Amino acid sequence: MHSRVRGVANRMTLTGYQAKNLASILLMGAKHGPFDMLRDIRRYPWLMDLLGVNGLLARLVENREGTYRTAVALVIEEVTRGMVDLLEGMFHRGDRLVIHEDMVPPEILHAMGLQPWMPELLGILLPMLNPRAMERYLDAAENQGVPPDICSLPRATMGVAYRGEFPPARAIVTSNLPCDGGMASYTVMQKITGLPAFRLDVPYDVSSERAHAYFAGELRAMIAWLEEHTPGRMDWDRLRDICGRRNRMAELELEIWDMIRAKPAPMAGEAISLSHLWGFNVMPGRPSAVRMFERLADLTRKSLARGKGANPREKHRVLLWNPPTLHYIDLFVWAERAYGASCIIDSMSFNRQPFIDTSSPETMLRGLAHNIMNGPMARHTRGPAANYFTDMFHLYSHFSMDMIWIAGHIGCKNTQALNGLLREDCRARGIPLLIIEYDLCDPRIVPRDGIRDQVDHFMENVMKEKRRA
Amino acid sequence: MPVVRNKKQGATGVNSVFDEVYGLLGEPGNDLVMRAIRDGMAPVGYTCSYVPEALLSAGQLFPVRMRAPGAAGTEAADIYLSSVTCSYVRSLLEYAMDGRYDFLRGWAFAASCDHLRRLYDNLGRLVRPGFIHILDVPHKRGAAAVAWFAEELRIFAAALGGHFGTDTGPGAVAESIRDLNAFNARLRAIGELRKLDVPRLTGGEFHALMLAAGASPKKLFAGILDDLERALRGRAPAKKFRARVVIAGGQLDDPAYINAIEDQGALVVADRLCTGSVPALAPVPEGGDPFAALAAHYLSRTSCPRMMEDHDARVRDIIALAREYRADGVIVQTVKFCDCWGVEITPLARALRDAGLPVLRLEREYHMGAEGQLRTRVQAFIESMGK
Repeated sequence: MHSRVRGVANRMTLTGYQAKNLASILLMGAKHGPFDMLRDIRRYPWLMDLLGVNGLLARLVENREGTYRTAVALVIEEVTRGMVDLLEGMFHRGDRLVIHEDMVPPEILHAMGLQPWMPELLGILLPMLNPRAMERYLDAAENQGVPPDICSLPRATMGVAYRGEFPPARAIVTSNLPCDGGMASYTVMQKITGLPAFRLDVPYDVSSERAHAYFAGELRAMIAWLEEHTPGRMDWDRLRDICGRRNRMAELELEIWDMIRAKPAPMAGEAISLSHLWGFNVMPGRPSAVRMFERLADLTRKSLARGKGANPREKHRVLLWNPPTLHYIDLFVWAERAYGASCIIDSMSFNRQPFIDTSSPETMLRGLAHNIMNGPMARHTRGPAANYFTDMFHLYSHFSMDMIWIAGHIGCKNTQALNGLLREDCRARGIPLLIIEYDLCDPRIVPRDGIRDQVDHFMENVMKEKRRA
Repeated sequence: MPVVRNKKQGATGVNSVFDEVYGLLGEPGNDLVMRAIRDGMAPVGYTCSYVPEALLSAGQLFPVRMRAPGAAGTEAADIYLSSVTCSYVRSLLEYAMDGRYDFLRGWAFAASCDHLRRLYDNLGRLVRPGFIHILDVPHKRGAAAVAWFAEELRIFAAALGGHFGTDTGPGAVAESIRDLNAFNARLRAIGELRKLDVPRLTGGEFHALMLAAGASPKKLFAGILDDLERALRGRAPAKKFRARVVIAGGQLDDPAYINAIEDQGALVVADRLCTGSVPALAPVPEGGDPFAALAAHYLSRTSCPRMMEDHDARVRDIIALAREYRADGVIVQTVKFCDCWGVEITPLARALRDAGLPVLRLEREYHMGAEGQLRTRVQAFIESMGK
């Protein structure tokens, strides 16, 4: 009887959130008008893939119950709403649209009254919805002469540009992050779009005050450049509001991180990782993102009070390092069921970010500079190896992990070139290490079965688990 | 392996000098390096053209541009750097782990690309050199970037001075700049001989000269330059080539590669490479703060795609170079897995073709290989130019 009630509640959670997501999408279509919507679907074929959001939701809540299930569902709801907002901006505010590289967070653009468009977002989001979504873009880029060994995220993004599927925009703001391939890709995208571009220069070692001052100067120069090249004007009060709300998000997230140190963890998986990826990288300071974190914190508190853990079968605690396996985003849905292996936190979520001091424009720029420079792709992937290892082993012990899984994206040469040292360090510390070989956006390199096989071999041979049925 | 050329033209004097030059390229630590060490000099290895040689030339220091001549396999380095890292970088780590660079007293890196940054990380941990430093080189020009880089150079100079007990203050660095400018002017004059209709030296020979100069203490190498300058005056022109080409791109430190191109009839008249003469031999402005001068000078080098704002300048510079040396076409060679060049090359080649310059794109491994394929592609390129 109890399990039947639970089953009904679970179905209601899924159905309820699916209905909300569908309503958001239908409302957007209605506002845009059916004729314009059809025209834009032809112009931007990737729009069709976004309709797969409820399929993603169903996959991510499978076998998850109660507060965990609700938390994951509300993250997907926020992603859907946020994406709808971005698309509405793209449809209706093209005169203020600014293309920004994924390592240039959008707080400043919002404060200037501009409409951000992060082209890498397609390469991040679409493979979650449709694992094969980026294949046509990867192939388009390669056909134009882009080498196949370049990271598939900038490669796919260049492919979108080569296929003429970027929205019209006013300007580009980019940086030398996160890697040489990503940096160089904007030369191609600037050539294709013909847009003026501003490039932020981020120092290599981000730890010094001198580096922070240099980069804050870069941000000031970017603001001046945007005021010259777009209708945007900096509104420092608006930036203060955005930074204030971002601080609230960070406060809530820190509370959640404190709670998930408990064993079993009261929250895990995409409720931790996707909420951060979306909230802090795409929608920082957005009121609905604050609400999402408030609800996530509330659900985590409830789960902690019950003491059962998000995953009642939690047996292993995994630290996931590097961007998640996008085209197999439900890896941990499977791993939780197959081995009781929960992803407690991941490298992309864990930032050494301070609260932003909102007392003056200068302090806000310094705070934003610090956050950008210490974002995981800047601090770990491109920065000194010491950052990479120090943070990894800190997280391992701080969250009482059992093992480290490296999402060993073949196109990430920065991290591939640290695997040798990492193996030695893990061996010396007695840390079980799995390096999953795969490609971030391209399932043709290693499909989901291949990823699962690698996990199976590791769990059986290293962790001495019984092979799943 | 010495390559003796122009024998039919009786240029035995030049050939014997080039024999000596080629002889300096067989080992990372050549005879001149070893002689300098015996004389109390201290070699510091560097791996990127954004490391100013002038800083490594103060006092008893001298710079050695790092190569891995004869590298074939990189089995040990692959364990650490993986097989998707540029093979130049892997070859350097392989040799370093083999102890082939133990003669060095230190290493200087630039945080110029992903691959070299990770070489710095791995080499620092695995080899633990007595001195190792990485320069944080901005990716753009402009006053703030120049000021940042000038400060980086001051920090680096202080680190060198502290470790080696040598004077690396502004006066000593200014003197090094003067000496290097004078040395580079001599190399530049030899390179410009290739502007002649039928030059007195080939691109392969000049490339070997550049590499040997970079791999040797300049003070000892000056004697070879004296001999070469004398011998070249009386040398008959090289054989007639079918086409004149500019070679551009990333790391290339093997004259055999250019010789293979030239053997097909394409004379390499100008080189715009990491290891090339343009713009590397341009003089650093003298007078004033030498660190600021070096910073501005090095950041004005747009030849590497790591300088993220300068794609158009690179295109313009290559076109200007081709016009200046009356080149028929451009060969752009890149080492596989180099992300900067790998992405850059597509819009670059398109822009050069739009300017009327035929372009041959070549992707290669660091070590010489697939020579037959190279020859075939160069032959086809020359024919496609109607030569």
